[in-house]
Amino acid sequence: MSGAELRLGAVSYHPRVVTVWERFRTYLADRGVPTDYILYSNYERLVEAVLDGSVDIGWNTNTAFVRLDHEVGGRTRILGMRDVDLDWSTVLVTRKDRPLDGVRELAGRVLALGSRDSGHAAILPLHYLAQEGLDAAAQCVLLRFDTDIGKHGDTGDSELHVVRAVAEGKADAGVLSAVYFSAFRAEGVPDVAALEVSWRSPPYYHCNFTVLDSFDRELGERWSQALLAMDYNDESIRPAMDLEGVRTWHPGGEAGYESLRSAMREQGLLT
Amino acid sequence: MSDGDPPPDHRLDAEHLELGSGLEVLLAATLERVPPGGVLEVRTPSRAVALELPGWARLAGHEVVGEAPAAEGTVVQVRRGRTARVLAAPLPERGDPPPLRAGGELHTADWRGAGPPAPGDAGAGFAPLGAVPEASATSYRWRLSDPDEVWADDVGELVEQASAQQWDASREVPWDAARDLDETTERAVAQVMTFLAQNEYAALYVPARFLPEVNPQLPELVLWLSSHVHDEARHIEVFTKRALAGGLRGYALASTELSLSTLLDEHDFTNSSLLLNVLGEGTFLDLLRFIELHAPDPATAAAARLAHRDERRHVHFGVSHIRRAIDSNRDNERVLVAAVEARAAKLASLSGLSPVVIEALTVMASRSLVPAELSEAAADVRSLMSTMQRNRVRRLIACGFGKPTARYLSDLHSPNLM
Repeated sequence: MSGAELRLGAVSYHPRVVTVWERFRTYLADRGVPTDYILYSNYERLVEAVLDGSVDIGWNTNTAFVRLDHEVGGRTRILGMRDVDLDWSTVLVTRKDRPLDGVRELAGRVLALGSRDSGHAAILPLHYLAQEGLDAAAQCVLLRFDTDIGKHGDTGDSELHVVRAVAEGKADAGVLSAVYFSAFRAEGVPDVAALEVSWRSPPYYHCNFTVLDSFDRELGERWSQALLAMDYNDESIRPAMDLEGVRTWHPGGEAGYESLRSAMREQGLLT
Repeated sequence: MSDGDPPPDHRLDAEHLELGSGLEVLLAATLERVPPGGVLEVRTPSRAVALELPGWARLAGHEVVGEAPAAEGTVVQVRRGRTARVLAAPLPERGDPPPLRAGGELHTADWRGAGPPAPGDAGAGFAPLGAVPEASATSYRWRLSDPDEVWADDVGELVEQASAQQWDASREVPWDAARDLDETTERAVAQVMTFLAQNEYAALYVPARFLPEVNPQLPELVLWLSSHVHDEARHIEVFTKRALAGGLRGYALASTELSLSTLLDEHDFTNSSLLLNVLGEGTFLDLLRFIELHAPDPATAAAARLAHRDERRHVHFGVSHIRRAIDSNRDNERVLVAAVEARAAKLASLSGLSPVVIEALTVMASRSLVPAELSEAAADVRSLMSTMQRNRVRRLIACGFGKPTARYLSDLHSPNLM
């Protein structure tokens, strides 16, 4: 390993993460920004690693980013994010045979939520539903599926439980990522034919590559440029990009994290 | 229409279609007509569909960029993504379809223009004829990629015949006729059939080994070798059944085994075609005809007749392929001669067809051990041997070998016949 090699931390939420980073590692080296990757089993450990300098760049979920940014008083920089991360949203799904006129109708009913550390399947839905006039924590019976804690919802496992609970009538409604719901719809597994989207949250940002503000600016700029140059029309890298769920990389920014920052504060998750 | 409105074909009324019930198919087909970066206006009466469209769009590589209430529903603006769904050249415009023959038949020989295919990409995948392959990280290295190494000009027609002449070894042979021979004759038949079945194993394994080495861009060859393998499977089946059908057994001879093993030693397709198709199966044509003519029962005759029909195709392919190889490069002749010589050297210990087989053929033909009848049958078997030799030379000449070379190669051929 050369001395100039950057260290990037990511979370191994699925075996494919190795496939993705083996390919991206070669790509980044070819682009003049050699970057090794170090995998952690959970985002809390990854945040610690960025903070203590074990890694230079963290490939963070929105929840991990907000926590990291909070820890250093906002002295972070974002080097890039995926197209999907720019307009992530959460949907609330219900059974088609039990249509919902508005989210307030859910008062007194069962609402299924994904992992409690998932920004999109638990933290943000509670925040946005409150803005719609539904204090779900107080007014609904919450059916939480706290699976894969530490992965911040990356595995999608808790969202599988959410849609199943709604489909099977164990919950009146459930919340999950819009993209995950569309993926379930496309794959037909689990069977979501009987479900429909009754509400969608405003868009917010999801994952990003984060560095501390002390990270060399010129190097950070070069790393971003290399990332943004990744081309989905290049057959040699398309399979890895498909596994990562990205078609184009973007510089990103902090604007789309305000709602999550507020939500985490409200829910006592930023201490 | 104001200046800012999208063109009419960039509008879609989803009516009552929903995602998961066909709307995504309609969206994909409609977006194909929208240039990358262009916006498609989707009108839907369903609030649920409007809410779900952004997730679908992201997953499909597009983006919802606007949404507005409209008469009886919502209009959702979907901007087409800039990335290609399939990494390949665009599909060509509709062209002329392949010609049909009388009765509306579409023949394999007609599915591409005349002449052999141009050398293709040795790393190509399983792209069917005419398909536009997507660029892929998966790469193959086909050993048999150059048409010149494998082609025969009438391979398309041969594939056609192979399909048309399929038969059923369980039902097209009068098996009840195989049960009543006397023990002497039946023992001879069982030995002859065992010999045939043993040889047919090699006739199957040789093309089967080449089959997965052929570049899929030569589909005629893939189909041809598949049919060859299937034919030989049926030959193994029918001769094994005939051997078993009379209740007696024959020997699987070591000399036959030695001869067949040298067929498997040959890894060059063209050399192998000469050894197996032209020399081996060619010689078997005469043997099978002899068995059909002298069969003591209709089951044996039928088995030999049905197999003969297939072997004719195989020999035809071999002659056609070798002739093309020699015509295209005279140096190939020298290589082919060397291959026959090399095999003959390995078979130096074989002095002739096993007496066990010759005796079985003779008894089968005489149907008795009465001296006068045996004498006539023995003459028939001797005559068969000369017929085989004569026809081998004739086939080798048809391949393009000069007469002296043809005689030389015929003499070198395995005394085991296959």
